[in-house]
Amino acid sequence: MTFANLLFYVFAAILVFAAIRVITASNPVHAVLHLVLAFFTAGGLWMLLRAEFLAIALVLVYVGAVMVLFLFVIMMLDINIERMRERFWSNLPFGLVVGGLLIAEMSLVLTARYFDLDAMPEAAEPPAGHSNTKELGRLIYTQYAYPFELAAVILLVAIIAAIALTHRVRPGNKRLDPARQIAVKRKDRVRILSMPAEKD
Amino acid sequence: MDFGIEHWLCVGLRHHGALLGLNYIDMLDNYLPILLFIIVGIAFGIAPMLLGRLLAPNNPDPEKLSAYECGFEAFESARIKFDVRYYLVAILFILFDLEIAFLFPWAVVLREIGWFGFWAMALFLAILVVGFVYEWAKGALDWE
Repeated sequence: MTFANLLFYVFAAILVFAAIRVITASNPVHAVLHLVLAFFTAGGLWMLLRAEFLAIALVLVYVGAVMVLFLFVIMMLDINIERMRERFWSNLPFGLVVGGLLIAEMSLVLTARYFDLDAMPEAAEPPAGHSNTKELGRLIYTQYAYPFELAAVILLVAIIAAIALTHRVRPGNKRLDPARQIAVKRKDRVRILSMPAEKD
Repeated sequence: MDFGIEHWLCVGLRHHGALLGLNYIDMLDNYLPILLFIIVGIAFGIAPMLLGRLLAPNNPDPEKLSAYECGFEAFESARIKFDVRYYLVAILFILFDLEIAFLFPWAVVLREIGWFGFWAMALFLAILVVGFVYEWAKGALDWE
């Protein structure tokens, strides 16, 4: 067993442990932190597959940004941990049905002929100087340019949807607009009256 | 010839790898220092806690374990609802983070993919600039 194989088993064991904790941890913040651990170890596995860019993007985008978002969402939800256990048994049948359906779908996909171990022979050793990042770049921006532009459109939809759903201008807002302060003219503020002098 | 510590780590491990019969001497070697950093970091985090657990005296009582808030009883739970504005900032950050992630492989192969690749990225950025202008004009970037 080479050192890389040993690393694979270490990373895989941590990944499975973290993934199990994600669904069994009763505190949702702990679950999110275990999901961070799972992403880190998955990044390690991708690195072992020599997928440099994907591994670093996983850490950068998922651990750095998506998990921050998850933590914010959990903090916004105001979860009461004691009350969460109450409806465990009444929700269990529904959860089992959904979980069973997911497992059935995943096993159908993963055992299909395209994903069988026989259908996927071991990849050839990449030649020296092979760069996964360069391969990705050569394909994404030429052969897959159309899906790439679709990704931009999806990101645009996400920007607009996030703003439309959550952005509110709060009433009673006392914020000052510096541009309007600077643009103000004398006639907006001062009115000079000519009054006749009063005689007594 | 000025080699950093990483170079000598790699040279040393390559030497050991040859001795142990490892045959994967390639780009993964560059990440060996990072693996060592991760291992040292984990050990550095665990060792003090373990030492404290093993060596420090441990006699808890209810007063020591209770929450301390300036001498008062704690007024409320520490779990408070976050403002939804944090979510908006985080999701806008993710979207532009993804945009940057797409720029890296593009920059690496820009000379090979030619003008087509250049304009593919230009269109990608143009579509996202529409979103950027929208969020700026809507005031989503203002914290009020």
